[in-house]
Amino acid sequence: MTILSQARHRILLSTAFAGLLAAILPASAQQSGQRVTITGEISDSWCTISGLMFAKGTAHHQCAVWCALGGIPVAIRDAGGNLYLILKIGDDEDSAGNPRVAKLATHDVTVDGELLERDGVKYLLVDRIADDKGVITMTHEEHGIQPFGN
Amino acid sequence: MRGGVNALIVAAGLAAGPAVSAEPWNIPHEKQAILKGRVVDALCQLKGSCKPDCGGGKRQLGLVLADGTFRLVAKSNIDFAGAASDLAGYCGREIEADGLLIENPAVTLFFVQRIRQNPGQDWIAAERFKTDWETRNGKAEEWWRADPEANRIIAEDGPFGIKGLQPKPKP
Repeated sequence: MTILSQARHRILLSTAFAGLLAAILPASAQQSGQRVTITGEISDSWCTISGLMFAKGTAHHQCAVWCALGGIPVAIRDAGGNLYLILKIGDDEDSAGNPRVAKLATHDVTVDGELLERDGVKYLLVDRIADDKGVITMTHEEHGIQPFGN
Repeated sequence: MRGGVNALIVAAGLAAGPAVSAEPWNIPHEKQAILKGRVVDALCQLKGSCKPDCGGGKRQLGLVLADGTFRLVAKSNIDFAGAASDLAGYCGREIEADGLLIENPAVTLFFVQRIRQNPGQDWIAAERFKTDWETRNGKAEEWWRADPEANRIIAEDGPFGIKGLQPKPKP
């Protein structure tokens, strides 16, 4: 095989591989995100935006566990009220009903990852949890156990 | 003017045919809507990390509308439950989803109440989570209080998420 034919062979293989990938992946995929470090409380998006209950700290922990295990998208809410929906943590790409994520409910964490923004939603692909302070926002004295009181 | 609005609604992937009948939940920024779009896995759609079955109910799913808008479907018609169980069976297919579009300044999400594949079909209540849960765990009036995994976590960490911190006994 000549150098020229080897090069042509490589080009053909590359083209075929690119075509195969294009067929497999959705057209809008490959979004490039922004590297970020986010600090905030892990909470479920339903309770946070529904306004039907007090959705912070110790008072909301049990409810946040239920929602996370029920498959409600889990988010980090930062001090500015921004919500970052978590789609993966490390190699774990299960974002619906994942017990590992439920165990983090209402924890205050700092995470490093990739931020993707699309149609009014901030999505977060967490590379690592840099810090986990556990549950530190004490709200149960004032609000009891949300939403039913037990 | 009205025709123009209808055209805009259809162009945005909101089906204009049947009357919207989602039950209002009185959530701030909610709007009744029927979304028409293709069921996709969020991580696949956004980042190209795909699984053939959209994750089989273990990933967050959403709809890609005709204009390319991606709407994450965050909640089903079951208390404390998301919609992955309801949508996973339609992975890659077009559906209509009747529910509430929540355009909160912090996040835009869709809460689905019922689903169908085309206008000729009956609507199916978005309550698959409970069916699947009861298949695994048996009947329960409140799945969340009977869930073995939830009870394990709450037993380990307490209802407030802090080991040893318990509610005060009621007088």
